[in-house]
Order: sequence, then structure tokens, then C-alpha cells
Amino acid sequence: MATTRKTRGESLLLRYLVLGGWALVCLLPILWFLSVGFRPRTEVITPKPIYWPTFSLDAWHLLMSDWPIALYLRNSVIAVAGSVIIDLVLAIPAAFALARYDFRGREDIGFYILSTRMMAPAIVAVPIFFLFKTLGLLDSVWALMLIYAAINLSLVTWIIRSYMLDIPKELEDAARTDGAGDLTILREIIVPACLPGIITAAVIAAIFAINEFLFTLLIASTSDAYTMSVALANFTGGSDGIIYNAIALVSFIAFVPILILVILIQKHLSRGLTMGAVKG
Amino acid sequence: MASIHLQNIEKKYGAFVGVQNMSLEIADEEFLVLLGPSGCGKTTTMRMIAGLEVPTDGQIVIGGEVVTDIDARDRDVAMVFQGYALYPNMSIYENIRFPLRMRGIPASEHDARIRRAADMVELGAYLDRKPGALSGGQRQRAALARAVVRQPQVFLMDEPLSNLDAKLRQSMRVQIKHMQRQLRVTTVYVTHDQIEAMTLADRIVIMNKGAIQQVGSPDEIYSDPANTFVAGFIGSPPMNLIDGVAQDGHFVAPGVSVACPAHVRGKVTLGVRPEDCSVGGESAQGMVYGVEPTGDVTYLTVLAGTKKIEVKAARAYRSDIDVPVGITFNPAHLYFFDDQGQRIRGAA
Ligand SMILES: Nc1ncnc2c1ncn2[C@@H]1O[C@H](COP(=O)(O)OP(=O)(O)OP(=O)(O)O)[C@@H](O)[C@H]1O
Ligand SMILES: [Mg+2]
Repeated sequence: MATTRKTRGESLLLRYLVLGGWALVCLLPILWFLSVGFRPRTEVITPKPIYWPTFSLDAWHLLMSDWPIALYLRNSVIAVAGSVIIDLVLAIPAAFALARYDFRGREDIGFYILSTRMMAPAIVAVPIFFLFKTLGLLDSVWALMLIYAAINLSLVTWIIRSYMLDIPKELEDAARTDGAGDLTILREIIVPACLPGIITAAVIAAIFAINEFLFTLLIASTSDAYTMSVALANFTGGSDGIIYNAIALVSFIAFVPILILVILIQKHLSRGLTMGAVKG
Repeated sequence: MASIHLQNIEKKYGAFVGVQNMSLEIADEEFLVLLGPSGCGKTTTMRMIAGLEVPTDGQIVIGGEVVTDIDARDRDVAMVFQGYALYPNMSIYENIRFPLRMRGIPASEHDARIRRAADMVELGAYLDRKPGALSGGQRQRAALARAVVRQPQVFLMDEPLSNLDAKLRQSMRVQIKHMQRQLRVTTVYVTHDQIEAMTLADRIVIMNKGAIQQVGSPDEIYSDPANTFVAGFIGSPPMNLIDGVAQDGHFVAPGVSVACPAHVRGKVTLGVRPEDCSVGGESAQGMVYGVEPTGDVTYLTVLAGTKKIEVKAARAYRSDIDVPVGITFNPAHLYFFDDQGQRIRGAA
């Protein structure tokens, strides 16, 4: 008895060591951002190795005074949140129809919707640019909102649909015999029952939208419509050369919301991604 | 309050026939039980009455109105589903309330009705729980409460007691019957349990492979089976069915020899219930195969030729196995079936 318990304890220790080591490897870039972001500029560019960097808020002050971070964050939030809302409003009924109603070509339509995601975005970049130009939508967060919504709509629909397919049909039958119509069933039965799926889809869409770069660069021609992802890429620290500690800090700030989102749904994330990809 | 007429309804899934050419008249306020083996089309029949499945052919009339093309929500039918189908995000209270809300019943009546329904199924203490936090039997009772909370034209109950223990099942059975008599709602009830069928039903419908085998009162089904399927399905243990040959008023099978009506001829099947057999005598000769005391009776299995015959023996009967034994069949309760399995009746 005693020996088994001891080996079990040892294997637990070993497991923690391995996992801890792996976590350190994964976290190293983030720790590095923080370390670089909060040291003085001179210590960033010196070729000599520094073992104990001095703590400094130089980069932070520079960012706050010199760089419209609030604007970029605001643009990101509006475009991303708006796009996710648009996606949900369109995708939930679409997914319901694709999951439940039997109509001709249902599977084909479902697959067609998903296939829009399989195309390389660069292929449509030029037409999209001219489309938005004609509509007078260049350089606006509303345009970004539409683009993000369009990019993610198929994926969101697909993920929600796969969750809806898992809801037993008897639930809907019960609601129908109880006297509920389609919209009531969707609102009161289906949506609450696949809420985890809806949240997962929304968070995945938000992450993709936050990271979206190509179309944002194309449409946001001035810093008025810059989101964090594009602003970050354009950021060099101002007129007097590349300021690495500021860049590191900005990168960290851009990374935090995604980290929070991923933590929120980590339980569902792998299921959401694989289901969206695999399950028909 | 409505009669139900099924007129030649049929349900096909591709080439597979789930329910075939079924005609049935269910009287107003009747308690009808559908009984049959798994997969025989009971649930499918119920779903067609509820309007959840469209018949491939035929017509359904509820309360004088042709409802074949009317959506489930517009038929005034309440159903207990085989898989419970409780709404997982709602508390039991809200689950039971859902049909009241949907059918526009005044909110002031809700609470009293919900509590009455919950008390009926002894679930009053669980109203705040979500379905996920209930046991299988509790969920089943919640599903029952949700169906009986309003007074529809028709109750459809698909094995509503299958997951309850014997004691609770017995008390629910009495509750359901009482409630059905009180509310006077036409009820179609599916079960696998013969006791349930026998005790609840005004009439029983025996189904097999999508087709009706016999319709009748519990008594008729038991004492006057139409074919070998019904004979072998009803009763516990079921009727002994012995293949043999009849000639000149005499039926013979390995180890069995009894008198039979003169018009019974050729290859036939003899049916005799275990309780119409008694130990000792000449009708059948065989060896004791097994003895099963159950408390109030003892079941004896006799191997006659290659056929095992069940006998309901006296409570105190005991025997070793492989001992020769004779059996007498009660001549007043012998059933004969032709080689198609159909009952041979009267004088031909
Ligand atoms: N959607 C469907 N597609 C194809 N076949 C089906 C479908 N629904 C039911 N069936 C078939 O129809 C037959 C009858 O099914 P049904 O559910 O009515 O059986 P049941 O009598 O209720 O059985 P149980 O006692 O096991 O509940 C079964 O053989 C089943 O496989
Ligand atoms: Mg069934």
C-alpha cells in the first residue's frame, strides 16, 4: 500500500515538473514582452546582457502621451463587438434552419456556406476594396465591422449548427405539442440549450476579428480606423527610431483581451474548433 | 374530449414500412393502450396522432375534424415523450408551466395548476430543480406532470412509467387512471408492461411489425386471442404454443395428445395457458426441466418431446429435475391456430 502511494506521489511530482516546464516555454514570450516593456530604453538596445533590468515606466508614458491607444482600442472594440453581434443575429436562425428544416439542397447550402471560408482572403481583397470604395465605406470602423462579420459568418453558423444538431429533436417536438411556434421554440428552447455553442462561436469569431489584418489594412487607410492589430504593425515608437520597449508593451496590451477570451471558453474551444471543422 | 379516427394510415420510411394500413376508432373518453414489441410502430403511431409525423397515406380525424395536415401546435394534444424531452434550461416548475404559457392560460391560474400536477406525481419538492439534477424516474414524472397540467383533447403517453420502481409504478398507474376518469380526456397509452396494459385499458391494441394484430378489451385479448402472436405475447409466462397435427378430433405432438374439435385438421398449433395446465394426468408426458417457486405460485417447466411447457403448479409443488411427469390440460381452455397462426374458431 505504502509503496504504491509513494510511486503515485512521485509520478504526480514528475507530471507537475513536465507541465510546469512546458508552461514556462509557452509563457516565455509573454514574460519577455513584460520584461522589455517595463525597462528603460537604454537597457533595451544595449548589446550587453542584462540580468536584472531596472523597472521603468518610460514606454508606458510614451504610449499614453504620444499614441492614440484609446482610439485604436475603441475602434477594435466597436468593430469586433459589432461584427460578433451581426454574426449571431444572422447565424442563429440560419443554423436553426440548416439543422432542422428538411429542404432540398440543405446539405449543399450548408457546405457552400462553409466553403466561403476555404478561399484565400487575398483573392477577394481587390474586389472588396473597390466595392467598399464605391460604397464610400473606406476608412471607417463600420466597414471593418461588416468585413469582420462577413469573414466569420460562415464559421459561426457552422459551429452553432453543429451544437444544434446535438439537441434531441424530441425537445422541439415537445415544445410544438405544448403549443409553441418556430420563433418561440428557437428563443426559449434551442438558444438556451445551445448557449455554450453560441458563446464559443462568438468568442472564436471575436478572436479572429481582433487578429484580422489583411482587410483592416486595406480599408483603414488612415489611423482614424486603425484597430489594434494594424496600429500595432504600423507602430515603431514615433519619429525618433524604433522603440522596442514601447512595441513590447503595445503587443502585450493587444494580447490581453485575446487571453481573457480564450480563458473564458477554453473548456469549449477545442470542441468548437473541431466540430466546426469536422462534423457534418 | 374527442374521439380519434385513424383511417388506413400508413407510415413509410423509404421502403421500410413503419406502420401499415392502420384503422382504428378510439371513442371519446376512452383509455386505449398500445402494446407490442420494440420497434412495432407504437411511437410512430403516437407521433402521427400528435401531428409530429405526417402519415404517408390515410387520414386522421380528431373530434370530428380532419387533422392530417394540421400542425402539432394547432392540435390540442398533450404528449409524454418516451425520452422525457424536458427543457434542460428551465426548472421543473417552468417546464410544467410551459404548455400553460403557450396555450394562453391566464397567469393567475398557473401556480395552482402546476402544484396540483406536481403533487399528483409526487414531485412537489423538486420544482426548483433543473431536469439535469433529477433521477431518471423523477424526470419521467416531471414529463408526466407537464402533460397533465392542462386539459387537452387527447393525452398521448409513450411509456410514461417505464423508469419507475414497482411501487411507484403501481401508485402512478392508479393516479393516471383516476385522473383520466376525472378529466375525461381520451388517452392513448403505450407500454411494454402487460400489467399496466391490463389494469389501465378500456381496450388494448396489440401491434406487431407495424400492423394491428388484435383490438379488444383486456379480457378479450387474454381469453380470446386472435392469433399465435397475441397468444404468445400476452400472459406471464405466456401461453404455451405447441406445433402438432390434428386428425379425426385428435391433436398429437411429441409427448402431447389431446382431444380437439372435429373441424380442426392438419398442421395446427395448440395453445394452452400455464394456469390451464395441472400436474398429473395424460394430456402431456415429459420430464421435469425446472421448478421456479415465486412465493404465491410455483412455475414448473416440463420438457415434452423437444417442447418446453410451462405449468402453473401449486405453491408447495417441488420436484427434482429429470423426473417423469404427466400434465393435464383443461379441455375448456384449449386454443387452436392454423398454420398461418390464425385462430380456428367455431365449427367450420
Ligand atoms: N425516422 C425514421 N426513419 C426510419 N425508420 C424509422 C424512423 N422512425 C422510426 N423508424 C422505424 O420504424 C419502426 C417503428 O418505430 P417506433 O419508434 O414507432 O417503435 P416503437 O414501437 O415505439 O418501439 P419501442 O417500444 O422500442 O419504443 C422501427 O423499426 C424504427 O426503426
Ligand atoms: Mg417507442
